[in-house]
Amino acid sequence: MTTQAGPSRDILRFTTHRHLRQRILLSILSGKSIRVDGIRSDDVQVGLRDYEINLLRLAEKVTNGSTIEISVTGTSFLFHPGLLPGGNYTHTCHIGRSIGYYLELLIPLAPFCKKPFEINLYGVTGEEGRDMSVDMIRTVTLPHLHLFGVTDGLELQIKKRGSAPLGGGQAVFKCPVVRTLKTIQFLEKGKIKKIRGVAYSTRVSPQFANRMVESARSILNRYIPDIYLITDVYKGEDSGKSPGYGLTLVSQSTTSSIHSSETLSIPNPDKPQTPEEIALNATRLLLEEIKEGGCIDSKHQWLISLLMALGKEDVSKVKMGPLTSHTIQFYRDMLSFFGTKYKLVEDKKTGEVDVSCIGIGYSNVNKSMA
Amino acid sequence: MEQSHKVHHKPSAGTKHAKKDAAKGVDRSGGKGFNPKAFTNTSFRAADRAARRTAEKDQKRLHVPLVNRNPEERKVTSAKGQGMDEGKLPPPPIIVGIVGPPGVGKSTLLRSLVRRFTKHNLNSPQGPITVVSGKTRRITFIECGNDLNSMIDLGKVVDLVLLMIDGSFGFEMETFEFLNILQSHGFPKVIGLLTHLDLIKKASTLKDTKKRLKHRFWTEIYQGAKLFSLSGVLNGRYPDTEINLLSRFISVMKFRPLVFRNQHPYLLIDRLQDMTSRQLIQENKKLDRTITLYGYLRGPNLPPRNAKIHIPGAGDLEVKSVERLSDPCPLPTLESERRRKMGEKAKLIHAPMSDVGGVMYDKDAVYINVPGSFSKGGDAPQGEGEKMVMDLQDANKTFADGIQNSEIRLFGHSTAPLEHTQQRVRRAAAPRSGGPMLGGTDDDDDDEEEYGSDEDEEDYEDVDGEGIVDGLNEESDQEGDVRYAESDSENDDLEFATGFQQEGKIVNIEDEDFDDEENDDIEDGSDEDEDVPQWKKNLSDKAATSFAERMGRRRDLMSLIYGSELSPAEIGAGKTRPSSADAESSRMAQDDLFQVSREENKGDEGDQLKVPVDLEALKTRWDDEEMLDSIREMFISGPIGEVDAEGNPYEEDGEGFEDIEDGSDNGGDDEQGDGVPYVGVKPSASDHESARAQAAAKKQAALKAKFDEQYDDDSDEEGGKMDFYDQQKSEMAKQKQLNEDEFEGLDIDTRAQIEGYRSGMYVRLEINDVPCELVEHFNPKIPIIVGGLLAAEERFGYITVRIKRHRWFTRTLKTNNPIIFSLGWRRFQSLPIYHLDDHSIRNRFLKYTPEHMHCYATFYGPVSQPNTGFCCFNSLSEGASGFRISATGVVLDIDRSTKIVKKLKLTGVPYKIFKNTAFIKDMFNSALEVAKFEGANIKTVSGIRGQVKKAQGKPDGAFRATFEDKILMRDIVFLRAWYSIEPKKLYNPVCSLLLADSEEWQGMRLTGQIRRDEGIKTPLDINSAYKPIERTTRRFNTLKVPKKLEASLPYASKTKNLAPQKKQTYLQSRAVILSEEDKKAVSLLQQIQSLKKDKISRRKEKQEERRKEYRKKIGIVDEKKQDKLKEERRERFKKEGLKRKRDEAAAEGKYGKKRTR
Repeated sequence: MTTQAGPSRDILRFTTHRHLRQRILLSILSGKSIRVDGIRSDDVQVGLRDYEINLLRLAEKVTNGSTIEISVTGTSFLFHPGLLPGGNYTHTCHIGRSIGYYLELLIPLAPFCKKPFEINLYGVTGEEGRDMSVDMIRTVTLPHLHLFGVTDGLELQIKKRGSAPLGGGQAVFKCPVVRTLKTIQFLEKGKIKKIRGVAYSTRVSPQFANRMVESARSILNRYIPDIYLITDVYKGEDSGKSPGYGLTLVSQSTTSSIHSSETLSIPNPDKPQTPEEIALNATRLLLEEIKEGGCIDSKHQWLISLLMALGKEDVSKVKMGPLTSHTIQFYRDMLSFFGTKYKLVEDKKTGEVDVSCIGIGYSNVNKSMA
Repeated sequence: MEQSHKVHHKPSAGTKHAKKDAAKGVDRSGGKGFNPKAFTNTSFRAADRAARRTAEKDQKRLHVPLVNRNPEERKVTSAKGQGMDEGKLPPPPIIVGIVGPPGVGKSTLLRSLVRRFTKHNLNSPQGPITVVSGKTRRITFIECGNDLNSMIDLGKVVDLVLLMIDGSFGFEMETFEFLNILQSHGFPKVIGLLTHLDLIKKASTLKDTKKRLKHRFWTEIYQGAKLFSLSGVLNGRYPDTEINLLSRFISVMKFRPLVFRNQHPYLLIDRLQDMTSRQLIQENKKLDRTITLYGYLRGPNLPPRNAKIHIPGAGDLEVKSVERLSDPCPLPTLESERRRKMGEKAKLIHAPMSDVGGVMYDKDAVYINVPGSFSKGGDAPQGEGEKMVMDLQDANKTFADGIQNSEIRLFGHSTAPLEHTQQRVRRAAAPRSGGPMLGGTDDDDDDEEEYGSDEDEEDYEDVDGEGIVDGLNEESDQEGDVRYAESDSENDDLEFATGFQQEGKIVNIEDEDFDDEENDDIEDGSDEDEDVPQWKKNLSDKAATSFAERMGRRRDLMSLIYGSELSPAEIGAGKTRPSSADAESSRMAQDDLFQVSREENKGDEGDQLKVPVDLEALKTRWDDEEMLDSIREMFISGPIGEVDAEGNPYEEDGEGFEDIEDGSDNGGDDEQGDGVPYVGVKPSASDHESARAQAAAKKQAALKAKFDEQYDDDSDEEGGKMDFYDQQKSEMAKQKQLNEDEFEGLDIDTRAQIEGYRSGMYVRLEINDVPCELVEHFNPKIPIIVGGLLAAEERFGYITVRIKRHRWFTRTLKTNNPIIFSLGWRRFQSLPIYHLDDHSIRNRFLKYTPEHMHCYATFYGPVSQPNTGFCCFNSLSEGASGFRISATGVVLDIDRSTKIVKKLKLTGVPYKIFKNTAFIKDMFNSALEVAKFEGANIKTVSGIRGQVKKAQGKPDGAFRATFEDKILMRDIVFLRAWYSIEPKKLYNPVCSLLLADSEEWQGMRLTGQIRRDEGIKTPLDINSAYKPIERTTRRFNTLKVPKKLEASLPYASKTKNLAPQKKQTYLQSRAVILSEEDKKAVSLLQQIQSLKKDKISRRKEKQEERRKEYRKKIGIVDEKKQDKLKEERRERFKKEGLKRKRDEAAAEGKYGKKRTR
């Protein structure tokens, strides 16, 4: 008899540690178990890293009924996802990765919890080169969620800043629950009407932030007058354990399409970077991002694509810039988890891609009635 | 008396009247009558009332707007042949279920309706029968058997129910059960049909019966629900006029989408075929089968890959492949619609399970019926021999293989029926994208098959070419090579991208082409990296050309992402073909044995959003002034490339227009920075003029839109004033239009890959590993339904529902008694725990469902969305007496754990008492247990509260406790605690389709039922037996107060001697002698007394007489009443007897055919 009593027997198999987070994320959302093999089997240091184990712990913490089995060598693990109860959590992130690394997993999960989600994360608030800093998540990722109707009560508070490598920062992420996501059509990128930014510094001279603002303005002033770059200097307890500084820039258009960039200081570099260099780099990255076009930020292509697919059985359509490799892999994973294929129409001239897909009719089964 | 005639009314309409009007010069063109005052309100009050009434009517009309996931019906306008949108997918046929108790005339109605729509006479209508009912609509009729399983399944898919009621008998329990099932799963439209009315002879009785049944029907559906009555049967059919009327109602009926069906794709299966090879079956009779199911798709889109489905009665399955077939029962084409009436040719019928035109599709063969010989259904008198042959036909289906019955069979056992699709070897339609695989077993097979040798490839091509059944118009020939292409020009290129190799010239040419591009690309790359000065020479040109080159390259993202082995980074970098080493390694990666060491498997990278940037290159790129200026137009303050709705606050007329032209002329060059004002070529004068006009118009429109948006102008229908309701509806309509248009241009296969199979398509589902019983016990009379499952619905968990015992169900429901749920598509048995919210603090366990009240229930089962309705049954078998629906409710919550608690009282007794401290034993077994309860509140029976303090060494489990007062040795001490309980994990699907007789399904039984069945006596605990209660009267010792104390007490507190006096008092003991006067007085009193007594007795006598008379009168009335009752009873029994007799007669075939299952 094919009738089965018990959880689904399908297990999706993957290899290597790459794209680990999105697979855990999709596993929880789709309810499909995953097995990942060959994690750094060729590396000197074999198996899962500490921060990845920390991530798995977090995934287990925020779900009810998950089981994780990690092999002895740490090169493979099996993950049976549970349901999302929501509520309040506290998690100390591994300082190997910044809080953004963990938040990128949590953000798409949070709207599908049973109760409003709130988590207190401790660790590194920003790290150059890998994950989004908390500033960027607050100013860019959350507005992207607004598009899908996740609005009231969605916030990220930066209680303390903690630069790499030692961290010591704290961020509180709160998210409301939704029954279904809105279907979006976002094809008009509009014209950029304002630029905002946050220059932060911890455990260095507060003047650093001002210097960053100055030099960012030196390039941006030629475009529009509506530029507000605030300096955000944390002192004493709130400034974490390591010195650091950085600049996050966000541009918003008339149709509220958002582009962003950021550059943070690198801890213990061979050649120390001046705040001016950092600011100029961030500014140039922003201009690059703007030039690439699309209605959404390139680092959020995957998030938007995911939320499009998790909508009602209607067509969502969004114009994006050239797809990043992360997004491309994400599309492949979406196919294996949800069976969703995206229609991708590349604009030959601008390189922009019209991404459209039909929602899978995903609704928050966790959310209880009344 | 003079006969009064009807007064003649002058005509107020018509030609004659019009003529008179014309003569008089009256103009009635206003639409209403001549008198304009007649239609205004006479008073303010009336006007107010009228306004309120219209407002109320307006509000009543409103319903929550719901999206209809099925395609719209065609619009046929009055103009001939107009409004027929041929290319569009028509909606699936509406499902009309014919439901009623046996012998009510369901088959007769079905035959009559089919005859009405198609002019076909069906001898034995079975399974779904699809007919074309008109230019816009098709109808699938299906007859529903009397078993509860079919009723539940069919109730979930029907759009319209023809509920048949035996007028001569009245409603039967099944009818009410069916209506209640409908209620809990979303109510479709219901039309009632009264039959057997010809059995009621008396006109007044007929009228009364009709009225009574109508009102009963109305209370069940809604006031004013449609109830038809069908008079007697003529030629085995109902009268044509009545059927005509009914059919007209059916063909114009409108349906409101139901929420559950809007979320789940589903099919009503009209054909089932077993695709398993005969040889394998012969080797192993119980082999899991591969079957194909055919039907019209309904609801939202069915996922193209590995769709999870549930077949109620068979279980959860996975669709291996879906294929769209040509519509077997298409709507009339535009050509035939030139005529007003539908042509006879267009009146198609599709009923594979019935014997239409003498051809019948069985599960494994096609039967052709040659009429005239021993076909059933004829009313001809049967001889003995003939009868024997007839009886042979009744043999079981499985027997049919062996028996040569009267139907001529064209094909042998082993050959497949006429269907050519069966021979095809099918493979997965899309090549896999590497990486993940479903399941663990088939890894190696996949590797060999995918992207394999040329042979394989050819095979694939062939399959696809044929795969499209002839009806699928012009696309079929493209099908072979187009995979994800958008236009034909890209096809060849695509072959590459997907990793397929082909021989032939075209490919070679393309190959060269490709290499060139590749080289260009490489050059490009090197330029960017090294040649910075060259970069700066003519930046704008360079930017434009590089962009054009990068994008002009013919590549299709979709085929690269989904169809190639390229790594994401390679696609991102713009490659279109894997470097050979990469492809090799990625292929090898699948194979555990030959794991090639790769960079991928090392380091920390690979799970990050940000990509490393070459800061130096970035710096040189953006240090350039021209580069910086090139993106100026992206900003609001920059030059205007195009005017959009948002407008541009800084624009000045002259400049603005010139920019527009630049944009339009250079075809979007502006994006690269060439469109910077005054740099581009100035246009000619005429162009200038037209462009100016255009731009002005555009600008004006934009301004108007903005104005409308701001000021809520109601003049415009788009941006105008719309209330919330209309706004929602228009948004839905817009979204629906977008849904239809978005994938319009794609070829069929790609479209299906992206959006799945749409509602209205006739599809064929291939399903593997189906239990053989489904095929073996296939019965065309039982509907097979395929219900799609959402992602979450395959999971299992604890489901909390709000439940209420049905008020017609006679028994209460007990926790942990198995009960059958019909929830979502599924029917399953589970063990619910009932509970109730206890002051919002806890969920408290209930042993039984409360009376007339909702409670909660939690059980283990497949997840379904909150707000889904369900109904429960204790038994699905026909033998169960009374109303079978035991409860109804709605899903509230899904979880992996539960929080239901049960009260637990621990008792103990004191063994030593001090003032406020006492030592308690017998509550716990060990000191450890006590430690867990330290600080817990305890209480004695008398209500003295206390606290657990500390465990004592001896005896085990004893502890010290403190109380607010001294307790007594005889007090029992309680500890009130809550014990959490979890429902038992039972999920037992009702596999009725897998049984020869769906009635014989047996789920988990109750303990009591097992005892009854097995003849086991209930074990009796001696302590549980009831014994007579003996209560000894308590005796108290007398209170003795010491004399010394007594003496010193004040009087009020002194004990009083309350024993009665034994000595007679003086008054009692003295002798009394009456005086004369006294004697007289006494005798007088006595006389008065006796007179009074006499008077009362006489009065009583009189009263009794009157009463007697009254009783007599009452007696007569009573007698009459009794007589009437007796008469009624006799009538009822008579009717019942008649019914029974008719049933019996029906069973013998007197009333035509009847369900024999």
